[in-house]
Amino acid sequence: MIIFGSIKSGLYRSLKSWKAILVIWLAFLVIIAGLVLPLRNSLNSAFGSSMISENLADGFDIMAFTDLGPVLRSLTSYLTGGFVFICITAFVINAFLTGGLFHSIGKREGGFLSSEFFSASAKHFWSFLIISILITLFIIFLTGFLILIDVIVAGVSGSLAEKSIFLIMIITVLVLIFLLPVLLLVADYSRAWKVINGNSSAFRALRFGFSETFKRFRKSYLLMFIILLIQTLFGYLVLSVIPLWKPQSSAGLFIFFLVSQGFFILRLFIKSWRYASVTTFMEQNRVE
Amino acid sequence: MGKYSLALWLCQVLLMPGLKAQIINKVPLSERLTGYDIKVNLDTAARTVAGSLNAYWVNNSGDIVPDIRMHLYMNAFRSNQTTFYMESGNIPDTGPDDPGYIDINSFVDGNNRDLIHSMTYISPDDGNPEDKTVIQVMLNSPAMPGDTVFVKIDFTTKLSSVFRRTGYNDNYYFVAQWFPKFGVYETGLKRNKPQGGWNCHQFHFDSEFYSNHSLYQVSITTPSDYILGTGGLLMSETDSGDGIITRNYRAEDIVDFAWTAWPGYQVFKDQWQNVSITLLTSRDRINQTERQFTAIRHALQYLNDNVGPYPWPYVTIVDPPLKGAGAGGMEYTTLFTSMSSFFVPPWIHLPELVTVHEFGHAYFMGILASNEFEEPWMDEGINSFWEERIMDHFYGKNSGFINNRLLKIPDLAQMRIGYVNSPGRQVTTNAQFSWNYPHNTYYMMSYYKAAVIMKTLTGLVGEETMNNIFREYYKEWAFKNPSGKDFIDIVNKVVINDLGEKFGNDMNWFFDQTLYGTGLCDYRVAGIVNHPNTLRKEKGDSLEMAENFPSDSDSLYTAVAELERSGSVMLPVEVLVHFNDGKEILEQWDGKSRYKDFAYNGDREIEWVKIDPDFKITMDVNYNNNSKTIYPDRKPVRRMTDKLISLIQFFVSIILL
Repeated sequence: MIIFGSIKSGLYRSLKSWKAILVIWLAFLVIIAGLVLPLRNSLNSAFGSSMISENLADGFDIMAFTDLGPVLRSLTSYLTGGFVFICITAFVINAFLTGGLFHSIGKREGGFLSSEFFSASAKHFWSFLIISILITLFIIFLTGFLILIDVIVAGVSGSLAEKSIFLIMIITVLVLIFLLPVLLLVADYSRAWKVINGNSSAFRALRFGFSETFKRFRKSYLLMFIILLIQTLFGYLVLSVIPLWKPQSSAGLFIFFLVSQGFFILRLFIKSWRYASVTTFMEQNRVE
Repeated sequence: MGKYSLALWLCQVLLMPGLKAQIINKVPLSERLTGYDIKVNLDTAARTVAGSLNAYWVNNSGDIVPDIRMHLYMNAFRSNQTTFYMESGNIPDTGPDDPGYIDINSFVDGNNRDLIHSMTYISPDDGNPEDKTVIQVMLNSPAMPGDTVFVKIDFTTKLSSVFRRTGYNDNYYFVAQWFPKFGVYETGLKRNKPQGGWNCHQFHFDSEFYSNHSLYQVSITTPSDYILGTGGLLMSETDSGDGIITRNYRAEDIVDFAWTAWPGYQVFKDQWQNVSITLLTSRDRINQTERQFTAIRHALQYLNDNVGPYPWPYVTIVDPPLKGAGAGGMEYTTLFTSMSSFFVPPWIHLPELVTVHEFGHAYFMGILASNEFEEPWMDEGINSFWEERIMDHFYGKNSGFINNRLLKIPDLAQMRIGYVNSPGRQVTTNAQFSWNYPHNTYYMMSYYKAAVIMKTLTGLVGEETMNNIFREYYKEWAFKNPSGKDFIDIVNKVVINDLGEKFGNDMNWFFDQTLYGTGLCDYRVAGIVNHPNTLRKEKGDSLEMAENFPSDSDSLYTAVAELERSGSVMLPVEVLVHFNDGKEILEQWDGKSRYKDFAYNGDREIEWVKIDPDFKITMDVNYNNNSKTIYPDRKPVRRMTDKLISLIQFFVSIILL
């Protein structure tokens, strides 16, 4: 029951923090639009007054793009470089803003104050950054290790049946899927604890994160699993709608933009729900 | 050797019982200038195929021929100094650890006279003394016109573990290019050669093969648990009872005989009209069998309808398992290898594409046996063209290759992109021998550019005329060895017959520019000008276009569509001009001048112009500049970038903690 209680309370706390979520949405929109809008202009300029865009009306037409020739190569390198830049920038901004979000979620009383939000963001920035870097590196190494296993298996696949190789790959993916909630729990516990214990170091927070995760492993894992399941189902919904929706009119495009951003805000909300549920769960365990 | 009396010939016939008989088809399909009776044993421990070969070659030329030449393709894997290895870039130290080769143990003529001492390795293409893929054998007496030369060879073929279309891996065998094989004796004037001679090239990295249509009678002895697939029909089998089985196969009028052996094969059967289809695949890929059968039925149907009948009553598809993947995607007329995997989703049509392509070679290489060494475009290019037509016909005009809700790619796109985006698209012409294509352009030139040229020709002459061209090509050249010139002669004949002199006296101008030229084709709309006339329309105005566009408006324009030819290739194109009242005019431009203006006086403005509105000129290297509008539609790009924003947002939010 404590799990569902935490999820319910997390939902309430998350709803209360809607302004913080909007701040995060805006920040992401600005940096991503900063990459994509110049790309849009470049594409418009590259296609010029051509009617080849008719071929894009029904979706992606590979020849319309490959015929751009050197322009496409420039755009591809711009997009690739820009994407890496966005990932790094978003990583840092996320480390900053989640400090404020965790603070907002953890507040028992009072409404959202932007000064408080940014003050908490600044206060916890370095700790949150270190926690994020370490856990992310852990996930990267883990993924790399599992991929390495697959590569080794594929390398000696002369005597193995295809299905066996595929099965091994599936198992490694399942292992990753199983381990990811554990690492997310560590990250969330660490950050929730850090916000409560303001002056503690990131490493102490991580120590707490690991210890709390494994101390109440089954319940913590179940809680995280439920939230991640909701998140995955939502992701599936989004992927079923956004790529296939082909608005043709200007009004349709505007509605599409609104809906897609609405989806993203919901996605942020579910993430915040996860933070809030873990925070609530941790608080309840501390009270006990 | 040399002249043979009837009695001696009959002796040879007795030596090769049944080889001259007619068993599979009612009448011979080809001249059968060569024939092979091979008896071999697969030694799975030594990785060898050893045995004897009785073969004949008929000198149907008017020449007195003093020698014979034969391919020993497997010697390409003998060392890291062979031409094949040198060309592959695997030099100097990465030669085969487990080499492949053919050893000739004995070589005698029809009178049992030794020929091995008159056998020399020659390298007609590059003079490489380390290359032993061609032998020249001086005959004891020259072969006179009409003579049949008989030889008997004992040979041992050691299979290579380096799998390039042939070799072994573990207990999997794919045995191709495995026996001494005659070159083709070409009579004078073929392919612009001044005199007759042997056309017998070395084995090159970027090359395939060239053979006469032959008779094959092949007896293969293997461990009895091995399941075999061959290019022949199983005639009989003898199980010795001690774990060894001998199977006897026969094939008629094919250009190559390959076979495979593996205990793990699962055998499936299907039927299309009178053609029995056999699929050898692995247990893992049973879920893919229907895809393979459907693909080959489509190919059989389409080629039968538009080119000519498939003349053999059988065909075998081999889908090699993962450990035999190096054998995948190759053709041996009545047997070919596909490429698949049990988890290829149905929207990726790669297995179908490979099956359709490799089967197509039964026509363009098998029946119409062009010289793949010297004119690879006739085989790979024409076959790729038909592959595209079949795939896009049966699997969707826009989704022949990929058919996913999010992404659709026609088979045509991959060919056109392969040509249009190649940095080497202007480096050379298709007149090169296959191994002489510079800067890694062999694949692009032989497959993609040639296929795009054929597609462009279809755009010009129309699909029905193109089908007629191939029907005539089949009728004229089936079971012969056509050259590029022979094909072009057929094009000229059929186009004149179907379309008169619409394109001039012949189509040589087309092939000279495209196939044998390095120029690009690029037409562009340079501009649209709607220039208001200072004149006002008055009652009784006699301006021609004003009469054509009667209107109550008194405004007059000179509307001009400005077109340019940016490339050097000149092709006739259609131009569609759209006016602001919704009316359209389809203009014809011969495409020869560097620029062309279509001007219209009247009270309409041009809204947009499209050159080649139906994308018939596939080899136009830039479709984007083929059209222009005064009201560009930015919505598709906006939609795409809005989606990109959304997808990046989600991706970033997923990867961040």
